[in-house]
Amino acid sequence: MTEITNETQFKQGLQQLSLADQRAVGARFVEHVISLADDERISFAIRVAKNKDAAEDELAAAFKSAKAAALDCYTRCGADADWSEQAGYFVARAASAIVAPEKDISGDGPAWTAAMNSRMARTCSIIDANTDAESQETGQQYRILEDLLNS
Amino acid sequence: MSEATLERGLKALKEQIDTPIALFFSSCTHCGMCATACLFYTETENPAYTPINKVEPMRRLWEQEYTLIGRIKKAIGMSKPITDEELEEWQEYCYNACSLCGRCTMVCPVGNDITYMIRKMREGMAAAGHAPEGLIGASKRAVKIGSPMGVKLPALQAQARHAEKDLGMEIPFDVEGAEYMMLMSSMEIMNYPEYMEAVAKIFRQAGKTWTISSEAFEATNSGIQIGSSDIARELVSRVVTAAEKLKVKTVISPECGHAYTAIRWEGPNLIGRKFPFHVKHILEVLDEFRAEGLLKTEGFEEARMTFHDPCQLVRRGGVVEQPRNLLNMVSKDFVEMKDHGIMNWCCGAGGGVSANEDAAELKMQAFKRKKSQLDELNVDTLVTACANCRIQIEEGLEENEMDIPVVGLTEMLAEHLVEDNKTEG
Ligand code: SF4
Ligand code: SF4
Repeated sequence: MTEITNETQFKQGLQQLSLADQRAVGARFVEHVISLADDERISFAIRVAKNKDAAEDELAAAFKSAKAAALDCYTRCGADADWSEQAGYFVARAASAIVAPEKDISGDGPAWTAAMNSRMARTCSIIDANTDAESQETGQQYRILEDLLNS
Repeated sequence: MSEATLERGLKALKEQIDTPIALFFSSCTHCGMCATACLFYTETENPAYTPINKVEPMRRLWEQEYTLIGRIKKAIGMSKPITDEELEEWQEYCYNACSLCGRCTMVCPVGNDITYMIRKMREGMAAAGHAPEGLIGASKRAVKIGSPMGVKLPALQAQARHAEKDLGMEIPFDVEGAEYMMLMSSMEIMNYPEYMEAVAKIFRQAGKTWTISSEAFEATNSGIQIGSSDIARELVSRVVTAAEKLKVKTVISPECGHAYTAIRWEGPNLIGRKFPFHVKHILEVLDEFRAEGLLKTEGFEEARMTFHDPCQLVRRGGVVEQPRNLLNMVSKDFVEMKDHGIMNWCCGAGGGVSANEDAAELKMQAFKRKKSQLDELNVDTLVTACANCRIQIEEGLEENEMDIPVVGLTEMLAEHLVEDNKTEG
């Protein structure tokens, strides 16, 4: 029975997964914050990432549209900050990580990148709500990974 | 607009005509070389976007008020008075169609600092009520909230908590006596929070002490962009006060081009005294760490990559070698754009262009110049060191259906750090 209690275990747990599994677990991280973004392109990326038989061109198409979704909601330099839109930006970035073609995968892998961006999305929504609430996203991601590793 | 308001506008413009401006106007040979250096002209071929034309109302005013021939012409009714409609028209030329990139200044055969002239023109235009709404909003927020994007301290603290969790280390706030004080740009806080994590990782490895001031963390200076020395001075003063209070040795400007120009080159002039601390761009500091053997990296990027020089870093700051030294630590397949270093072409969105919604279409036209540079190279990745350049390039690549990831140099370096167990300072 695997239990994840810290970042080192979390990272190691993700890195021992195959690329397809990293995409799939990343998709679950994104799913957990999808309510912060209202964009069909993100759902599309989740579907593709969960499909272990997804073809390269499907991944490429999902990647392109998720990246476009991120660029549609980032905050321009000098524009008034809208943290709820900004949450959507990070959800889209997380979504693009899970479908990135191999050559576009950054250092720590798709699931880790998706996890970090999903946490950022949650942080933005907390800033938007103007509360002192602590984000529970990290713990939720640990549980999601535990489920996968113990299944 | 009433005559009285126009009068005030002309007075404001006239006040900007100092000795260098007068000399520049009198030495211009109308050769047109500045046009070929300006991406807003080359990508649109609109003659109104010729750099020296962007200050034409100011030139006419100079001629009418300060030259003998101009005064005679004015006295006998032979010179055309400047109208409010003209000033309104020139708002497009000197704000939307200029990123204050400084490239025109590099080519002028008589040495006219055209960028300085446009900055001065903007001072007059802002005072005359002819600045773009987007820049007015950003400047108001900068003065009132401390950030042109309205990013308040709790938001930065929330991002810092996020980084602390990821890294398992503290992000130091308000540490008196720290060696370095880190400024952040709102763009980074909002769009690229991984920059803060990258800095924290690097400083931990280098064993250097650093801090963020909760009273002045913002690097962006909208006063410079809109053309208001009063606002620019106020924003610089806040940073100086915080740095003095914390007794830091060096203030670090982040991956933001114009922020660096504002605090490093214009800052002391704006507040009228020398700073009791150094100001450096993050890449200068990282390159010093490299030279001292404090940066330990492992592995190399597989991608073929190039570097986009942010205008304010290379042309105003001479920061040319530092990014290349750093890139060499992690890349073996690095290629230069045809015009790189001090003659690099702007991304098209600096100098307040990105904050100005009226310029949204034009900045994408201007991006075509960067596109041409990239088309010649066939690279897999583009690296840069300015959050504003980065998002403009990402948008431009997307619009032109070019699949090239854009990454920040500081982050890329941090990804290659040899993880060791040094604790933060
Ligand atoms: S500073 Fe740059 S954008 Fe502005 S006029 Fe000169 S070359 Fe053109
Ligand atoms: S390059 Fe210099 S001399 Fe030639 S038109 Fe431009 S400002 Fe005048």
